[in-house]
Amino acid sequence: MLYLSEITGSLDILGKGIMMGFGMIGPGIGVGLIGASFMNAVGRNPEAAKYLGQILVFVAVVELMALLVFASLFIIK
Amino acid sequence: MMAFGAFTKFAAETGPTVHIKPQTLFDVNGWPITNSMIFAWICSVLIVVILIRVARRMTIRPKGGLTQFVEAGSEFISNLLEGALGGKEKALKYGPYFATMFFFIALSNLLGLMPGVGEALVYHDQPFLRAFTADLNATLAISVVSLSLVQYFAIRESGFIKHLRHYFAGKLWNPLTYFVGIYEVFGEFIRLFSLALRLFLNIAIGEIIITVFAYLGKNVAPLTDLPFLILELGVCLLQAYIFVMLSVTYLSLAIKHSDDSHEAKEDVKYDSLTEMAVSSSS
Repeated sequence: MLYLSEITGSLDILGKGIMMGFGMIGPGIGVGLIGASFMNAVGRNPEAAKYLGQILVFVAVVELMALLVFASLFIIK
Repeated sequence: MMAFGAFTKFAAETGPTVHIKPQTLFDVNGWPITNSMIFAWICSVLIVVILIRVARRMTIRPKGGLTQFVEAGSEFISNLLEGALGGKEKALKYGPYFATMFFFIALSNLLGLMPGVGEALVYHDQPFLRAFTADLNATLAISVVSLSLVQYFAIRESGFIKHLRHYFAGKLWNPLTYFVGIYEVFGEFIRLFSLALRLFLNIAIGEIIITVFAYLGKNVAPLTDLPFLILELGVCLLQAYIFVMLSVTYLSLAIKHSDDSHEAKEDVKYDSLTEMAVSSSS
């Protein structure tokens, strides 16, 4: 017979896993959308390829959220 | 490679040691001296020596060597400024600060990847050196300096009242103006923290990832670390570029408002641009 109260272990690891999983969804979608629209723009107008530097800036803006999630792994006790 | 494996075995016994904060090594008159500060001093001395040497050897026809890289870097920054601020004159005016920032951040990021920085050299059980930009205090200081200079440049360019009206734009009897203005002022602080956190997190997490993969690799740690080291080389230069690019963008946003009061002109520009796009695509 299984009693839920008998399950032991550290919940913080579970919490960290859930946080990592859910937290990375948003930035992943964001970076994907930026890359998709950049490739769309280059496909329509190949001269737009010179804006790669600006695209990297926006990727870095989105990436900050992912990095915050990753850093929280070490901050949460 | 086997020699490297033998060294990493010691680390593998205790698990990876990961630090987010810099460690205090000793006190001078009650001022704590941390390992990232010592790294920063080494870095600043190095950059002063290198740049003075390069500036002495600057010729019209570059001789190659280190001079070439510094010239390419400063040309890159001045082109970036020219594109963002509009005009060579302004680019040369604001160029020195941003070029210095770029070289300093790039050098301290890249030196952070050198062997010896991190857990290798130990002073009283604390790592002796730590990458300067892997310290939140350092990146906060850099971004505070950057954004204060942006404010100063903007005030010098367009006057205090006009610069204030940039935040509190609109009619002054309207209470909404003040709400939007306060929101914009908060936005300035959000910019500050996001600049600092972006640089810090990228470098610190890069180090953590390298440590974790060296731990996972055990005897073949150089092999498992190699892709991440190469990735970090790219990230180091990219983060320096992004930091400078974002501060230049903030500067151009703060400066440009002085001559954007006529929107009709903008419309004409937009129309001619779209016309050009349509005619080139057809």
